[in-house]
Formats: sequence, structure tokens, C-alpha cells
Amino acid sequence: MHGIDWVDVGLSGLKIAVVLGAMLNVTPIMVWVERRGSALIQDRPGPNRVGPFGLFQSFADALKFILKEDMLPAKANKVLYTIAPMFGLIPALTTIAVVPWGRPFLLPSGRLFEPIIANVNIGILLIFALASMGVYGIVMAGWASANKYSLFGGIRASAQMISYELSLTLAAVSVLMAAGSLSLPDVVWRQTGSFVLFNAVKLPAWNIFSPAMWIAFVVFFVSAFAETNRLPFDFAEAEAELVAGYHTEYSSMKFALFFMSEYMAMATMSALITTLFLGGWDIPWYNEPPNALGFALSVIAFTVKVSALLFVFVWVRWTIPRLKYDLLMKLGWKVFLPLAVINIVIVALFIARRWI
Amino acid sequence: MISFIIFFFFAAVAVIFAAMVVLHRNPVVGALSLVASFFALAVMYVLLEAPFLAALQVIVYAGAIMVLFLFVIMLLNLQHQAEPHTRPVQQFLGYTTSAAFGLALIYYLAKYGVTKLPDGPFVSDARTIGIGMFQAYIFPFEMVSILLLAAIVGALLLSNRSGLAKDEETS
Repeated sequence: MHGIDWVDVGLSGLKIAVVLGAMLNVTPIMVWVERRGSALIQDRPGPNRVGPFGLFQSFADALKFILKEDMLPAKANKVLYTIAPMFGLIPALTTIAVVPWGRPFLLPSGRLFEPIIANVNIGILLIFALASMGVYGIVMAGWASANKYSLFGGIRASAQMISYELSLTLAAVSVLMAAGSLSLPDVVWRQTGSFVLFNAVKLPAWNIFSPAMWIAFVVFFVSAFAETNRLPFDFAEAEAELVAGYHTEYSSMKFALFFMSEYMAMATMSALITTLFLGGWDIPWYNEPPNALGFALSVIAFTVKVSALLFVFVWVRWTIPRLKYDLLMKLGWKVFLPLAVINIVIVALFIARRWI
Repeated sequence: MISFIIFFFFAAVAVIFAAMVVLHRNPVVGALSLVASFFALAVMYVLLEAPFLAALQVIVYAGAIMVLFLFVIMLLNLQHQAEPHTRPVQQFLGYTTSAAFGLALIYYLAKYGVTKLPDGPFVSDARTIGIGMFQAYIFPFEMVSILLLAAIVGALLLSNRSGLAKDEETS
């Protein structure tokens, strides 16, 4: 057995700590953004009493969650009821491991520092594999609660996730075909630099600007809302119809875990959209120097893009009303799935004609 | 050494949950156990240096097919916690056939000494599998797709015959 590279282990630990810290902080910040953002859109003040701009409202919420009584319904399946919230959280937390969040650079010791926790060559597949596990948290919660509304939420979640996972994956296939790789750092490297669109505008070489990817982007973006159970696709919750859907019976920290996993899944999805379509950590019209400065700038660029997408998630939630359930299924199977397949053909054509 | 520990841990997980699938009375718990078993199998693929297959195993079986199973089980609302033993003949045949199959498997594995992989580097990334699928194995690959198509057409036909799919909205 060869010796363990302790510097490498230390760096990995550091990276995990940074990413995990960022992911855990997404929830309180996003809860604040959501509440203030909804207030902004609905023309009312929103929470503004706790701290400046109500910034500490999330801490008050967290304290409230911890102090609430943890209920267990009498007829619930105790084991599944307890592990369901954790099952929701694990995929949301782990998928971010294969997303690159900055430009690699050489450390003074000559070691290449790659700002990604696990640079595996099947990156995108790993994300879909783990993300497809996320639905079990919701399904388990819905079933184990022994409540009709919860059960409906769970059933809807499973049907919806299956339908939209297909179009999500097929839309991502377009990007992977163009990149010729399943590894997310490769996908980002391909999007650095710039290209000239229709002999007219000089644009960054991001996938979203390439004509071959327009359909794929729309399909992926909309399917992302369905995968993260956000309005207009939050049928697992649907408080107007199902009380609170799969987490009707949950209280205290178990409920908070569902809350956290929703926002973390949103953050992961935003990071994925950024990586696949918005050039990842690339700064438009700028060549990042391959040193610590370039790294810092690229991390800021990545964070800005992800934050902007997270805001769009909030914006859409408070703007578009919930669809009807049959419309959701129709949209998924009859519109997005064919569109995603057509886009694959378009990308294949672009590759064959060497336009990409 | 570490991979040895990982192997036996996940082998145990796979076997225990596979047994749960058969032995547990509750269909939902059975389906979830099958998911856990599939996941443990995916770890085996990783240990065999086939991460691509592992990811596919999780996406296709644990992620897609089992969600569909759970959907159907929950939709039918199979709440009978304990079903009575009604078909002794079928039960007997089931147990004996699986026991015979297991014994045969062990016998042939022992006979031909399939206890470790042949030496050599194995490439099992997406590229190799894709090329293999579309060159050497193109015929079986296309045959399987026709088989699946036949199954889809059959399912459509059956659902149409019952008259449920007659109105436009459910189609």
C-alpha cells in the first residue's frame, strides 16, 4: 500500500468544509430572500422586525423549529417516518460534490488545486443518480405518515419526478454531446472563451448562447422547477388541495429538514444549470489569469450566477400560479420530452456539420 | 484492505435487504428494501472499477423503475399488513425453485473457480460501452429495442380494451 497524501486529504477536507458550509447557509439566506422577495412582489413589507431588514428572522425561525414539539402520528410507520426527512437531505447535499466552482490554479508548491470535491469522469451521471434518490424522501414521508393527504403528495411526487427526470436528463444529453464528456469540469472548459453568433455579435461561448442549445435550456430550466418541487410544479405540497402534502404530519426539526432539503436542492439545481448552460465559473469577455486571483474571481462569478438563478426560483414562485395536475403530466410527456429529443437531433446535426 | 471491508459491508446490506423484500409483509417496505439492495449492488460495480455501470444501475433501477413500482403500490393502496397464505402449491414451488437455482449457482461458481476477475485493465467508460453497443452488439441492441416497443404497444392495447382510455383526458 502506498502512503497517504496528507496534503491532498487536508485540501479535500477544506473543500468539503467550504462547500458544506455554503450549502448549509443557503437555507437561512434563501428563507429570508423568499419572504422578503414575496413581500416585494406582493407589495407588502414582509418580515422587517428582527435585525436590519429582518435579516435575523431566519435565526428566529430556526429557534422556533428546535423548540417545537416533535409529533409522531399514532398510525405512522415509525422507522420510515423518522428516516424520510434525512433521505430528502442526503441527495441535496451530496450532488454538489461533482460541480466545479472555480478555475483550477497551481499552488506555490506546484500542486494543482481543483475547486471541486470529487472530479469523477461520470460527474453528470452521478448527479442524476443521486438526484433520483431524492424522491424517496418525499414518497416515504407521504406513505409513512398514514394520512390521506400525505399519501396523495407522495404519489404525485413520484409520478412527477419520473416524468420530468426524463426531459431533464435528455436536455442534459444535448450539452454532454456537444462537450463530448460526462465530466462537469470538461463541460465548463468548453464554454470558456467566446464565439461570434450569426456573424454579428461576439458572445461568450456559453451553451445558452449557442443556437443548438436554446430548446435544451428551456426544457432543462422548466424541468428543474418540477424536479425541485417548486411552484408552479409543487404538486407534492399543493397547500390549496392537500393541506401541506407529504409533510402535513411533520413538525419541529423533521419539518425543518424538508425545508432545508428543498432549498439545498434548489441551490444544487442552480449550480447545475450554471455549469451546463451558463459557463460555470467563466467570466464573460475576460480571460481569468491561471493563479489565485483568477480563482477568486471565478468563484465570485460562479456564486453570482447561482445566486441570480436562486432569485429566479423565488421570482417565478411568486409570479406564476400552480398548474392543473393533468396539465403538468401533459406538459412533461407531450411537450418537453419530444422537444428534448428533437434538440438532441439538432445538436447531432450541428456536430455533424461542425458548427459547434 | 479498505475495499475488502467495503465489499463485505455492502454485500451484507444487499443480502439482508434482498431477504427483506421477500420476507417483509408490507409491500411498500419491500419495495424500499429492494431500492437499498440495488444501491448496495451499485457499490459492487464501483468496486469492480465500473463506475459508469454503477451510475446506470442507480439511475435506471433504483431511481426510475422502483419509483414506478412504489407509485403503483401506493396508488393501489395495498394496506393489508399481513396477507394469509392461500396458495401452498405455488409457495412450495417458489421456494424449491429458488433454492435449486441458488445451489446450482454456488456449484458452478465453485466448479469453474470464478472467484476473481481475470487480470488486465478494464475500460468500462461511456465511450467503450457505446462503441460496443453500436458496433459489436448492434443486433441484440436493436432486438431489445423492438422487444420494448412490443411491450409498449401491448400495454396500450390492453389499457384500451378495458375501455378506460376512451375519453381524451386520460390518454
